[in-house]
Amino acid sequence: MNHKWNFDAVWDNPEALLAGAVGTLRIFVICLVLGLSLGLLVGLGRYARRKWIYIPVSIFVEFFRNTPVLVQILWFYFALPILMPFEISPLMAAALGITLNSAAFSGEIFRGGIQSLESSQWEGAQALGMTHAQALRRIILPQAVKRMLPALTNRAIEIFKMSTLASAVAYVELLQQGKLIASINYNPIEAYTVVALIFFAFLYPLVQATYLLERKLRQGD
Amino acid sequence: MYQWDFTPVLVNSGMLAAGLGNTLKLTVTALAFGVPLGLGLALLRLARWRILSLPAGIVVEFFRTTPPMVQLFWFFFALPILIQVEMTPFVAAALTFSIQSAAFFAEVFRAGIVSIDSGQSDAARALGMTGAQSMRRIILPQAVKRMIPAFMERSIELMKTTTLVATVAYADLLFQANELAQKTFRPLEVFTVTALIYFAVIYFVSLVVHRIERRLAVSGETTVH
Repeated sequence: MNHKWNFDAVWDNPEALLAGAVGTLRIFVICLVLGLSLGLLVGLGRYARRKWIYIPVSIFVEFFRNTPVLVQILWFYFALPILMPFEISPLMAAALGITLNSAAFSGEIFRGGIQSLESSQWEGAQALGMTHAQALRRIILPQAVKRMLPALTNRAIEIFKMSTLASAVAYVELLQQGKLIASINYNPIEAYTVVALIFFAFLYPLVQATYLLERKLRQGD
Repeated sequence: MYQWDFTPVLVNSGMLAAGLGNTLKLTVTALAFGVPLGLGLALLRLARWRILSLPAGIVVEFFRTTPPMVQLFWFFFALPILIQVEMTPFVAAALTFSIQSAAFFAEVFRAGIVSIDSGQSDAARALGMTGAQSMRRIILPQAVKRMIPAFMERSIELMKTTTLVATVAYADLLFQANELAQKTFRPLEVFTVTALIYFAVIYFVSLVVHRIERRLAVSGETTVH
């Protein structure tokens, strides 16, 4: 334990970490927005009575929930370009993998949330003359979303953590920049410690907010 | 139109089999160390003395809150220099995933223990048992049964997370797939087959989990998540 800590390479290259943070936030926001919106569709699809919707959606969910997300990302990066007439950038491959994975997982959250409401809610809406789509939008979803909120914020945290996998295809995000800084003066200890602390600083408030939300909702119900 | 050809994958299937073997070895090792370590962390976190519960809480929160990929890089590239011990990729990976899964298992154990009605420990004390005795003989046997589904789901997550070692040169299934793709110039076939292998193994385990969960539900057993 006689290591001399030397953070010079970290402090001398603030723009490297800044670029990494921007990259992390960019892929996080893309995957959060696309993943959750697609997840809502997936959740509704798994709730559908028509078999031609239900079956493909279920296969999609089972496949993406039961394979590792890094395998998905590498498939999109190395395998998909062979089938596609265009190039796939690191951002595109990583965002595709993380988005589809999150859609599968959040689809199950949406499905569970919608199913958790009593059928009398549907019946009441129907009695008021609402169509199925109106009942879903005005009556069911607003109530279901409240119940799903803790599970959805947990998903957001998972997406933030998964964004580091984009470094496997050399997308510029925090961990990737950590590798770069580690190689400058050969100081991996300082570089990776700082990266870990930055992630902790981003994620810890999110985790605590989720705990708080869970407790508040449990008291409210 | 692309001409699919799986022969190069079939000819080299031994490479993928070796990778799958290493994936399973790493998963089992991490479980073997992660579970007892997780139980220890849970008990420490539940301890009445803050000098025990506070550090355990910090370890658990830190490992649950930071991305596993960052932890892996730290253990691989920073720790060996810090403690000046050379580590094989397997040791570094097993260390990372043992501690990481211990943090998650600790929360499963804690939720299970807390879920047991306090009347149980009161009754154990009334019978003259010490705290340790009541934990071992009364609380844990009941808690463990409730934790089985959460515990198995966590094990599935662990197996998926082990793929991250492919980025730091431990020859797991994904790493072998990458090698094979470069060797045969057939990334489409290799990565598709690899995804299907992972799916087969993980889907099988999740089916078993669902079955156990249903059986516990039938027997009226509450479970924790």
